[in-house]
Amino acid sequence: MPSFKLDGRDVEFSPGETVIEAARKAGVDIPHYCWHPGLSVAANCRMCLVEVGPPPGRPALMLNVLEYDAEKGEYIDAKKPKLQPSCQLGAVEGMEVKSESSEHVKRARAAVQEMLLLNHPVDCPICDQAGECRLQDYWLEHQSTDKRMKDETIRKPKAQDFGPTIVYDAERCIVCTRCIRFSEEIAKDPVLDLRDRGNLAEVVVAPGRELDHDYTLMTEHVCPVGALTAKDFRFKARVWFLRSSQSICQGCSTGCNAFLDYDPRDQTVYRHRPRENAEVNKFWMCDKGMLDYRRIHENRLLEPTISGKSADVGAALEKAVELLKDVDSDKLAVVLSAQHSNEDNFALLTLAQEHLGSKALFLAARPSGPADDILINADKNPNTAGATAVCGSTPPKSFSELLTAIGSGKISHVLALSADVEEDLSPLSDLKALVVLSTHDVGLAKAATVALPASSWAECDGTFVNEKGASQASESAIKPQGASRPAWKLAGAIGMRLGKSTPWKSLDDFRGAVNSDAAAAGVDVGVQPGASA
Amino acid sequence: MLKRTDYLTKNYGKPDGWTLAAYEAGGGYRGVRKALMMSPGAVVEETKKAHIRGRGGAGFDCGMKWSFMPKPSDKPHYLVVNADEGEPGTFKDRTIMEQNPHALIEGCIIGCYAMGAHTCYIYVRDELHLSKERLWAAIEEAKAKGYLGQRPFGKTYEVNIFVHTGAGAYICGEETALLNSLEGKRGQPRLKPPFPAQSGAFGMPTTVNNVETLAIVPTVFQLGGDAFSKLSALHHLNDGGTRLFGVSGHVKKPGVYECAVGLTLRELIFDLGGGVLDDRPLLGVVPGGSSCPVHLPDEIVNIPGERFEAYNGKCILDIPLGVDTFRGAGSMLGTCCAIVMSDAVDPVLALQNLMHFYRDESCGQCTPCREGCGWLERVVNKIVAGEGTMAELDQFHEIATNITGSTICAFGDGAAQPALAFIRRYRKNFEDYINNGAATQTRSLSL
Ligand SMILES: Cc1cc2nc3c(=O)[nH]c(=O)nc-3n(C[C@H](O)[C@H](O)[C@H](O)COP(=O)(O)O)c2cc1C
Ligand code: SF4
Ligand code: SF4
Ligand code: FES
Repeated sequence: MPSFKLDGRDVEFSPGETVIEAARKAGVDIPHYCWHPGLSVAANCRMCLVEVGPPPGRPALMLNVLEYDAEKGEYIDAKKPKLQPSCQLGAVEGMEVKSESSEHVKRARAAVQEMLLLNHPVDCPICDQAGECRLQDYWLEHQSTDKRMKDETIRKPKAQDFGPTIVYDAERCIVCTRCIRFSEEIAKDPVLDLRDRGNLAEVVVAPGRELDHDYTLMTEHVCPVGALTAKDFRFKARVWFLRSSQSICQGCSTGCNAFLDYDPRDQTVYRHRPRENAEVNKFWMCDKGMLDYRRIHENRLLEPTISGKSADVGAALEKAVELLKDVDSDKLAVVLSAQHSNEDNFALLTLAQEHLGSKALFLAARPSGPADDILINADKNPNTAGATAVCGSTPPKSFSELLTAIGSGKISHVLALSADVEEDLSPLSDLKALVVLSTHDVGLAKAATVALPASSWAECDGTFVNEKGASQASESAIKPQGASRPAWKLAGAIGMRLGKSTPWKSLDDFRGAVNSDAAAAGVDVGVQPGASA
Repeated sequence: MLKRTDYLTKNYGKPDGWTLAAYEAGGGYRGVRKALMMSPGAVVEETKKAHIRGRGGAGFDCGMKWSFMPKPSDKPHYLVVNADEGEPGTFKDRTIMEQNPHALIEGCIIGCYAMGAHTCYIYVRDELHLSKERLWAAIEEAKAKGYLGQRPFGKTYEVNIFVHTGAGAYICGEETALLNSLEGKRGQPRLKPPFPAQSGAFGMPTTVNNVETLAIVPTVFQLGGDAFSKLSALHHLNDGGTRLFGVSGHVKKPGVYECAVGLTLRELIFDLGGGVLDDRPLLGVVPGGSSCPVHLPDEIVNIPGERFEAYNGKCILDIPLGVDTFRGAGSMLGTCCAIVMSDAVDPVLALQNLMHFYRDESCGQCTPCREGCGWLERVVNKIVAGEGTMAELDQFHEIATNITGSTICAFGDGAAQPALAFIRRYRKNFEDYINNGAATQTRSLSL
């Protein structure tokens, strides 16, 4: 591989790569605002300037500038090298690049930093970006001096409504155009642009439009400063109180990699945002997926019910066992869920097949919806592929087929993992018993004879297989809410009460069992023991 | 060396001097006939021999620039004429468009032929109403004669010329901002590379030339490239031929004068410009448009390099106005239109005027220019208003130094260099505002 020198150290690059890209791969972060690895190069912030040695045998390009000798009271002619933006500069074999090691670069970065803050309101105490703002970070790293321009800053519109999700503060905007480029290049909707020029420039929404494409929240995430804020997150939390877990989005079968940002003190999730994965979602997520986190705290089933009345967990489990025990296995259907992890589905399957002897497998799922060719998949379930795979050679039938089977009297008892099904559930009233493990207080749970509260994906680790067949681990963020427990544990508890011992004491044990059973059945469900705890 | 010529200006001021008939009567449309008999490659070579240094300000060799265009392919090539002329103090291109538009048309046909282009866009600053009118009329006349269209001068090589009007933003004179504007986009400079020759108008190979650069090309083909170049006293520095010299400000006869390259500032101000108004002493001269540094009338030059030895030790007013002589002297030739200030001018106000312009015209794309130009203006404004401090004055050169070389396009340097030059030469005047109070100052920008 060809290489160049960055501050004396060898950095390899692939032909066509820029200096900043190659450095990033080598683990060196050259400071930058406007550059984003997923967007075109704008090279407008000038934070990433580096000094490049001239080609061999050629003099460096030097520019005429001035220094001032305060003692003598006179100006002195000085020279400075022409610096290059590393985000635009193609890497060349043998090139000598100075970043941290150049005094000229240090000065240029401090200057850019100072200029970016020149007309900035520095209203960090009321800004949601505080704590994850590049202006703050780079001020500390590259400037650290007081503000020299002490006059009134230029006033621009604040708290402008850009659309249903985003608010714009032009005074905080550093005109890096990331949001503009994102909308045009990734969301394929050139709805943002700049207006006016010089230091009056600001971002505007196209006349007659709102910022309302399917990826508007991404503009807030690509914005390196607090100029764009999300209505959903504004003024709700301070990011330094938040912790992040590595989750998998539950919005559709693309399985975007994400972070769930939660406050461990109040066990509340505040935000869902993209986590880089070159194969799956690159740097992006859609609005629906990001806002889907709100379901973690909405409409949850937090305590068990027996015939619609609250019960404690022990009583509910007893009741479930009583209902399921000694049922004619031909009349007992088991419903897996495309919204639950492989772990939950496998546990239910084990309970059904090994302990209850049922062979009638069905799959509950969210109905499909709109798709695009960016990220959004029509299958609105995060684990259709995984729930299908755990079943091995006999794939589950659809939920509507179950309803038909109930209507024709073939099925009288159902044990189900819940999903946001949209089918007409009235046939369920013909059942003798319906035991449901459900995260939410949705139709299936409401119709249940016994409903047991299951933990959502934010509260337990799980594995999800996306539409391309990639199995991905999702980490829990907060503790199980209310009386909920991971569905796989609930399934295990029912099994125990049926007198069948389940050997799984821990998630690792359990995942080992999932894998070996799945392997025996000839399928790979990709659940990794010890992947996360 | 003062040597007046009239290749471009012979019809200036004559009744109907801008018409095709007048142009042809003066020998026009002969160069293009010669050029079209040659191969395109030979036209480029001949143009190189002429050593026309770009008249738009950067001074790049015209023939050399043409030779960067790729070989003809299935991609259309374009010639784009930069007729945005927005540099303060510069007013030469409009005289060509108003009084000798056919020279530009003829130059465009030669340029198109040389570079494999069939379409030429002339990007004209909107407020130049007479220029547009004369260009439109000239294009119609040339079309009617068959000089433009399918077979110019009987040669099967289609050339069409279109006038495109800009909205009058200074930055749209920067060639890549111009191309964006031409395409209907926001007029802000593009990143380079790719250069226009690789990817210019509509992503196609394009050459952008200044009006005067192209308008002098027919003369090259009438005289021969080498003979044209040798008209210049700086032929040995590859700075050939003749050009338009402008002079404005405090001179008795401001205007545009055509001379062989080699003219000095002193000749321009005193011989052609008739001397300083009211015969007052000179305060300073900006050699070629507002983006160039200002010079004191008694500055002595010292240019490194053997080629320049003859000029060293001389006063800046007495060295030939050339691209390399002025670059070597730490200055800039720019558009070769000098701005003259007599001692009645308050340099603080002059700089304020300039900084206001640059703050207003910055496209706002890159940080150092967007914020730096505003900061520079703010400091000068405060000093003029009597609110400036010595601390701010001491920061002034730092701001300009930090802009220099750190921007996307040359606008940043164009704003920073005059700022540095003014503060370096007239710091005392700025101090006076701060120490003695703004009210004590002359506060005069003009006579
Ligand atoms: C801020 C800025 C403004 C410019 N304005 C003009 C202009 O008005 N006219 C012009 O011919 N060149 C202008 N230029 C120079 C052009 O970018 C370009 O160099 C020129 O048109 C090339 O033509 P030439 O090689 O024939 O000189 C400007 C450059 C900058 C940086
Ligand atoms: S709003 Fe944010 S992303 Fe958009 S240009 Fe301004 S600073 Fe950049
Ligand atoms: S230097 Fe100024 S004019 Fe040029 S791109 Fe940057 S902001 Fe725009
Ligand atoms: S990161 Fe903004 S100029 Fe390179």
